[in-house]
Amino acid sequence: MTISPAADPSVVLKAPALRERSVGYRILAEAMRNTGFRVGLGILLLIVLASAIYPEVTSLSATKISVREKFLPPILFGEKWSFLHPLGTDQLGRDMLLRCLIGLRYSFFIGVTTVVLMFCVGCALGLVAGYKGGWWDTIIMRITDAQLSVPMIILAISILGVSTPSVLTIIIVLGLSGWPLYARVARGLAITERSREYVRGLRVLGAADLRIMLLFIAPNILPGIAFVAVLDVARMMIFEAILGFLGLGVQPPTPSFGTIISDARKYLINAWWIATMPGLFLTLVLVSINLMGSALEKARNRIYGGAS
Amino acid sequence: MSDTRTREPVLSVRSLTVGPTEPGSAAILSDLSFDLHSHEILGIFAETGGGKSVLSRALANWLPPTLEFRGGDIRFKGKSTLDGTGHSMLRPGREIAYIGSRPQSSLDPTIPVGPQLVEKLRAVRPEISAADARKKILKLLAEVRIPSPEERFNEYPTKYSGGMMQRAMIVDALSTDPAMIIADNVTQPLDVTIALQIVRLLQQLARQHGLSVLFLSSSLSTLNQLADRVVVLQNGRVAEIGETQALINAPATPYTRTIIDQIPRIWRSTAAPAVSTRSADQPIMSVRDVKRTYYVRRPGHLNSYNSVQAVRSVTFDVMPRDNIGIVGESGCGKSTLTRLLTALEKPEQGEILFNNRPFNQMPQKELTAARRGFQLLLQDPYNSLPPRMTVGRMIEEGMRIHGIGKGAGMRARVEQAMTDVGLPTSIYNHLPNSLSTGDRQRISVARALVLEPQLLILDETVSALDQSEQNKLLALFSRLQAEKNLTYIFISHDLAMVRRVCSRIAVMYLGELVEIADNRNLFYSARHP
Amino acid sequence: MFLVEYLLKRLAQGVVIVFLTSLIIFTLLRVVPGDPVRLIVGGMANDTVVKEVAEKMGLRDPIIVQYGRYIAGVVQGDFGQSYVRPRNGMVVAGGEYIDPTKSNMAPVIDLVVERLPLTLMLAGMSLVFALLVSVPLGIFGGLYPNRWPSSLALLVQSVFVSIPNFWLSIVLILFLSVKLGWMPALGYQGFAYVLLPAIVLAVEICPFLIRTLTVSLGEIMQAPFIDEARVRGLSRWRIVIGHALRNAAVPLVNLLGMQLSVLIGGVLVVEYIFDYPGLGHLTVLSVVARDFPLIQGIAILTSAVFVFINILVDLITYAIDPRVEL
Repeated sequence: MTISPAADPSVVLKAPALRERSVGYRILAEAMRNTGFRVGLGILLLIVLASAIYPEVTSLSATKISVREKFLPPILFGEKWSFLHPLGTDQLGRDMLLRCLIGLRYSFFIGVTTVVLMFCVGCALGLVAGYKGGWWDTIIMRITDAQLSVPMIILAISILGVSTPSVLTIIIVLGLSGWPLYARVARGLAITERSREYVRGLRVLGAADLRIMLLFIAPNILPGIAFVAVLDVARMMIFEAILGFLGLGVQPPTPSFGTIISDARKYLINAWWIATMPGLFLTLVLVSINLMGSALEKARNRIYGGAS
Repeated sequence: MSDTRTREPVLSVRSLTVGPTEPGSAAILSDLSFDLHSHEILGIFAETGGGKSVLSRALANWLPPTLEFRGGDIRFKGKSTLDGTGHSMLRPGREIAYIGSRPQSSLDPTIPVGPQLVEKLRAVRPEISAADARKKILKLLAEVRIPSPEERFNEYPTKYSGGMMQRAMIVDALSTDPAMIIADNVTQPLDVTIALQIVRLLQQLARQHGLSVLFLSSSLSTLNQLADRVVVLQNGRVAEIGETQALINAPATPYTRTIIDQIPRIWRSTAAPAVSTRSADQPIMSVRDVKRTYYVRRPGHLNSYNSVQAVRSVTFDVMPRDNIGIVGESGCGKSTLTRLLTALEKPEQGEILFNNRPFNQMPQKELTAARRGFQLLLQDPYNSLPPRMTVGRMIEEGMRIHGIGKGAGMRARVEQAMTDVGLPTSIYNHLPNSLSTGDRQRISVARALVLEPQLLILDETVSALDQSEQNKLLALFSRLQAEKNLTYIFISHDLAMVRRVCSRIAVMYLGELVEIADNRNLFYSARHP
Repeated sequence: MFLVEYLLKRLAQGVVIVFLTSLIIFTLLRVVPGDPVRLIVGGMANDTVVKEVAEKMGLRDPIIVQYGRYIAGVVQGDFGQSYVRPRNGMVVAGGEYIDPTKSNMAPVIDLVVERLPLTLMLAGMSLVFALLVSVPLGIFGGLYPNRWPSSLALLVQSVFVSIPNFWLSIVLILFLSVKLGWMPALGYQGFAYVLLPAIVLAVEICPFLIRTLTVSLGEIMQAPFIDEARVRGLSRWRIVIGHALRNAAVPLVNLLGMQLSVLIGGVLVVEYIFDYPGLGHLTVLSVVARDFPLIQGIAILTSAVFVFINILVDLITYAIDPRVEL
């Protein structure tokens, strides 16, 4: 909105800002009261900071081979452990912690980008299908059904298996095979919203379809889906790891959870930590994301539930 | 029926006090005392939120975990039902049966009605065999005049209409042969005519089965139709108890008097119909021979359709400052007509002209612009406002759509509209969650007003409100009419309400406008049931 | 009558979906880089052989022609033959040239049918395990919101959903099989070999089941008819078992249909790790070997199974709750 010079800008500008902060802030505040959320947030912040800083400042290298230091067990296990390698070293003497942290960078980046892509494509299609109905609905939903009926992983590995996997192809393939669920959910919600009284009220007020969809229906249904999307980030990170495990993920020597674990299977009996530690590390990250995701979801339901 | 006073009362409530379990919170019911005699129908009046549900729940041993007995006693047939620790020992459903105000959602929607009634009967009285229980339920279903009970027995709750479901719930209550029935606002969700049938039925059944009935309602006129005596509650305390007629004719407390004054009476000619201020101007809106048919998929078939003529050949004119009321039972085509009047749907035949321009010839842009002139106010104050939006932003929305006003000017207009409808401007940045139903409706009104419309269409706008809120809002409408030169179309099933505010009334029946007449003439020469 | 009509309609829709799916997969496989012929004839073969074989098999025709030929076969029940697997079941050693146009290659349909029962058994067992854990957790979580059972349910789902299935497989193999020797791990030589992979899969499905059960049961318990059932005189046990669970089962059954692809995805990875000779294992191998007919066949089969299960799910839902629109 534009402000006429005569008007007092502070009055006008404050209004929307206040509203945004009050609702969003209340959800966050509500979530902060949840122990799971605080624990998850703490762990996640710590690990994310570590993965951002540690690889830059440490003198260790994630790819350089050091035969002398191979098969060092993690802290407090066995005999030769050292504080320098808290998670031990692998068959080539590389530091496991460092490899995990760098793997996390890729994993996190791929997870978030993929979910954003899925979310945008899926919700846009679902919203149009649900609100417009008729032929729009039929065509979009048939495509969605077809896509949904091929399990994501078969689609992903078929494509990645015959092409060369790279960060970009992984994101595109995962994103394009994951949108149907979002489309379905968005469509369902859009149909419910469309029949609500307020939409009738808005139409009588003179609002055009696009305006109703973007300004009213989308803000109503998207946050709900966005909170599920937080949980999906974790799912996509697992997916990325699975692809890596099958040899279809980010290619070596770049460390990725999947490839590390896959390679380490050979040393499972002698050096159990090479396979288990990265998994444990990844699980910890994912648990913290999931704890936060479900706490946020609960908080949102409570705030919007009209209990207040 | 007042010859039983000498006998011991079926239920006697003594200094009953109920409140939230939170220590220090105010009691909801305080120091209530009254008796229910056998074969008596005792009416209990309280406004919405006045403790009716809490009272009925307390008596039926159905208090939610957040409430507790704080003191007093409930004696059923002379025996106290409360143990020392403030818990009721009454077996729910056996001696005291309960009928609520939510018949449509009282039963499991996934199981047919009959088996559920049988299940309840056998859960409460396990000594009855399944076959006997079924027979008994069928007999009772016939008794409450549910047509072809054998078939209805195996139908799902969603197939029952509101009135029928309420009858089924009466059967549910009666089946265990209770001594008394608590009827908590049972007529509230129903149409006036159906409600009257239910009241008559309850009265008759109570006589046949020798029941005592505690009938709680927020409508004194309903109580007047059936109660032997009435207890008036005010803020959770007994304000007055008396024989119904005596109490209504000569109320002892000022509170009761105000309540009685608020009852709309269609028979009272002193409630002068709003004076028609019709001028010889052009009509604002005229409806010409409008027709609309729906095709509904026949249940159980994929490709066959039933056609429903929702609106057939409706014609009328709306003159400036002329309040038209459109009344009819639910399902008579009112809502379809509303959608046609607001140009959300196009009629198949005929046309609707607004300021002499037919809707169906307007290009999209012009139609959008024309929408400023007529605004719709909806029934449900909870769903009709966009959720998660502040009050101010909601009212602004119309102005944004039509590109009127900017920046501070917009805000000033919004605040003006809020003041006009009696909302404090301090709630500009609040979410409407904490507002009352009446205030929510005021937001809708304000939202329409900022567009400076000529015509307001009110679709059951006040029916969700209780009597006193209704009165306040109706007063607001008439004030706004005087100030802003508005014209109203009231669409409602509530004849009494329409009668009070409209100068002309149109009656719809099965999609047709069967009568349209001046308010004064309509009821004296009613040509249609 | 109505049901028959409905089934016909759904089956017709299903055929359309499977058809679309096959088209998508077929096109995708052929537009991505990588020449299948090179793979068939082996790296050593010279260009003339490549060309010859390609032409013989029609692999140089336009995609739509190839697809038409393929789908015509599929309609007659012929899913083609594997590019790399001969009839005796052994994968050809690299470089050895077998003429794939001859009939000594295994038909796709045989390969699939042979593996299917093992996969079904694995899926069934994992579903049983998952229900055993998640039904009690979900029910108590839903009945006592904001108390410890619901916190426990939440914790279990958060942890289970975070464990990567391949990692869990390795850890379980390491502890239960290698260190403790309780269960056999790799390959398949009897029923006991199903257990470990089934546990891994169950852990993967559990979170969805628990979540749906807690949420839907929690919602149903707030429904007016549940509240009113108390004053009508029904016992709590009867209310929960007879009405609340019945209503909460509707979203649960729906979820099972929707999450089928998660299950299938899990099957794939788990079978691969445990060297369990089921369909998932076959899929991974066929992808690695770029065995196009086999990939296509499996994709069509899974999408058909998906369609079928979802029709079944809708029928069950309708049987439980007649309000659901068919």
